[in-house]
Amino acid sequence: MNTGSGLKVIAILDYYSSPCFKCILTPEVFIKPHLSVSLSLSLSLCQMDGSVGPMRVLVTGGSGLVGRAIERVVKEGGGREGEKWIFLSSKEANLVSAEETRAAFKKHRPTHVIHLAAMVGGLYRNMRQNLDFWRNNVHINDNVLNMSHEFGVVKVVSCLSTCVFPDKTTYPIDETMMHNGAPHDSNYGYAYAKRMIDVHNRALFQQYGLKYTAVIPTNMFGAHDNFNIEDGHVMPGLIHKTYLAKKEGKPLHVWGSGRALRQFIYSLDLARLFLWVLREYDEVEPIILSVGEEDELTVKDAVDAVVEGFGFKGEVIYDTSKSDGQIKKTANNAKLRKYLPDFKFTPFKQAVKETCDWFAANYDTARK
Amino acid sequence: MTFSLRSCSHSAHNASALTPDLCHHGNTRAVSQCMGNKMNGSVGPMRVLVTGGSGLVGRAIERVVKEESGEREEEEWIFLSSKDANLMSAEETRAVFERHRPTHVIHLAAMVGGLFRNMRQNLDFWRNNVFINDNVLQAAHDFDVVKVVSCLSTCIFPDKTTYPIDESMIHNGPPHETNFGYAYAKRMIDVQNRALFQQYGRRYTAVIPTNVFGPHDNYNIEDGHVLPGLIHKTYLAKKEGTPLQVWGSGRALRQFIYSLDLARLFLWVLREYDEVEPIILSVGEEDELSIKFAADAVVEALGFEGDVIYDTSKADGQFKKTASNAKLRKYLPDFKFTPFRAAIKETCDWFVANYDSARK
Repeated sequence: MNTGSGLKVIAILDYYSSPCFKCILTPEVFIKPHLSVSLSLSLSLCQMDGSVGPMRVLVTGGSGLVGRAIERVVKEGGGREGEKWIFLSSKEANLVSAEETRAAFKKHRPTHVIHLAAMVGGLYRNMRQNLDFWRNNVHINDNVLNMSHEFGVVKVVSCLSTCVFPDKTTYPIDETMMHNGAPHDSNYGYAYAKRMIDVHNRALFQQYGLKYTAVIPTNMFGAHDNFNIEDGHVMPGLIHKTYLAKKEGKPLHVWGSGRALRQFIYSLDLARLFLWVLREYDEVEPIILSVGEEDELTVKDAVDAVVEGFGFKGEVIYDTSKSDGQIKKTANNAKLRKYLPDFKFTPFKQAVKETCDWFAANYDTARK
Repeated sequence: MTFSLRSCSHSAHNASALTPDLCHHGNTRAVSQCMGNKMNGSVGPMRVLVTGGSGLVGRAIERVVKEESGEREEEEWIFLSSKDANLMSAEETRAVFERHRPTHVIHLAAMVGGLFRNMRQNLDFWRNNVFINDNVLQAAHDFDVVKVVSCLSTCIFPDKTTYPIDESMIHNGPPHETNFGYAYAKRMIDVQNRALFQQYGRRYTAVIPTNVFGPHDNYNIEDGHVLPGLIHKTYLAKKEGTPLQVWGSGRALRQFIYSLDLARLFLWVLREYDEVEPIILSVGEEDELSIKFAADAVVEALGFEGDVIYDTSKADGQFKKTASNAKLRKYLPDFKFTPFRAAIKETCDWFVANYDSARK
């Protein structure tokens, strides 16, 4: 095959005939954009010793909270030379559709996938639409995992959540406990769909030896979140409501008693950890990504940080007629600390301030 | 007497005239499905689609419907097999619903297999069954089916559990490692039923049989379940004058239910059982038997006189799965199960008479 660039190709395997392709290039070669090839040329270096060579990473849900954080971390030094990062959004492909998912994989030919795309929502939307949360997420997850398998993707890192854990459980929860009982009744559709990612990963490993895995973040927050008050999660909802309360000179109404406890993780910290998992974490069993138990906060603590972040001076009213959701979901980050004992999380108030500043500066275009 | 589909007079605007969880008409096409929508415990004339209709349970239901006055006047029963439609395909599933317009569905179709096949192919068992189940339940919802009765199994219950297990315990922990793909796919039927009820008021439900056996089973020795496997192996051992090799120690315990008994109970669930939570259909705990006991019954039924050898290098699977049938007994205190040996004899006789055409 004449590439015109002195490319030395030692072995090319067609995508469809091999679940794991290897194509070894001499390091100084690069592929010119105008190059046309009729074969499926792979750029992956499948090193299964824990390190990976230059990757082509497809990030589904790339325009969301976590996707944008990963994009920023990659651009600001987290990416490596020769890597290509593709951030997919629902505009480009509806992953509920198998055909559209396949088309996206065919177009981008990833070696790795960070799978963030999901139908998500806050407490109240979940309570009303368990069927939709179940079905849409099962379809998305099956399409992405199945296409990854079919296209020889080396590794997929999917995204679970501590909210999928059993409702009746001891605390703190850890990675071994995810399937030990039914999830909370408010979001069982979403919870089971996410849990089934882990089932699918384990089955892929059992039947084909693939090491696809998943992370389990606690409550995330940051720039580019969905700040919709009705459907959003607690932090972005608070941020939006406080912004409006300040702007309109009204009291801030907080849903629930404020006593519910959560571990919050800043999206940029989560993104840094995602990259580590993608490159270094070699288990199929998922890993909790969270601040430690000692940093668990009440919703009231979060409210106070947001109020301070905006300099809001009005009244704060807690509407106890609204549900608190789960009162606590303390997660154990011992596994993370075993791998990364020195990882530093951004201090909470600083992360909240950054997020509030971003929201105020981007109010018009922010998702809400 | 043919069953008229045009006599239903209500439209979306009249939906409130019916009990609230019926007839969510979004379109005029669904109007014709309204016959038989009585939720006071009885149902009017139904058009029942049975998926997996050519399998062990499907054939038993067919026989009970035809031979035991199971079929009521003006009812129509359609037994679907994989030849008619591949239910892993959403399009083919919808085509079937479009063609038959059922009012009710008994959903039996699944990718099934014995212990050893499950252990090797958890991914396939997970994916294929999720697709089948989602396609059938969603098509049923879209086509305004009044009731779907799906089929779970006691083998999907948590591995680490107290005994006896009951209907409330299905999701209380991970299933046995050997068949987690199949087990989770079946569990998710219950999740989807609950979600359909929560979001749309649909009363789709499921039954949980213990080990089923009977005519028309899959008697494949590699892939089959314990009783059909034993029956086939004993038949061959007798024919060839070789010993009977039983996999495992013979000590594993099971509750067995004859397919014809299960079929009779399925009809009762379809017509009378009104809960969304599933119901265990099984003989009582007192009738739990060891594999050895089952092997002895098969040996006796086929008149096998050679050696019986237990190969303890093979897995036993779950050692016990004792299920409580208290809920069933609460509803049907007087239901009589066919005695085990008589059911085994009937099944063995059927197998001998139908050896050439039996699935194996």
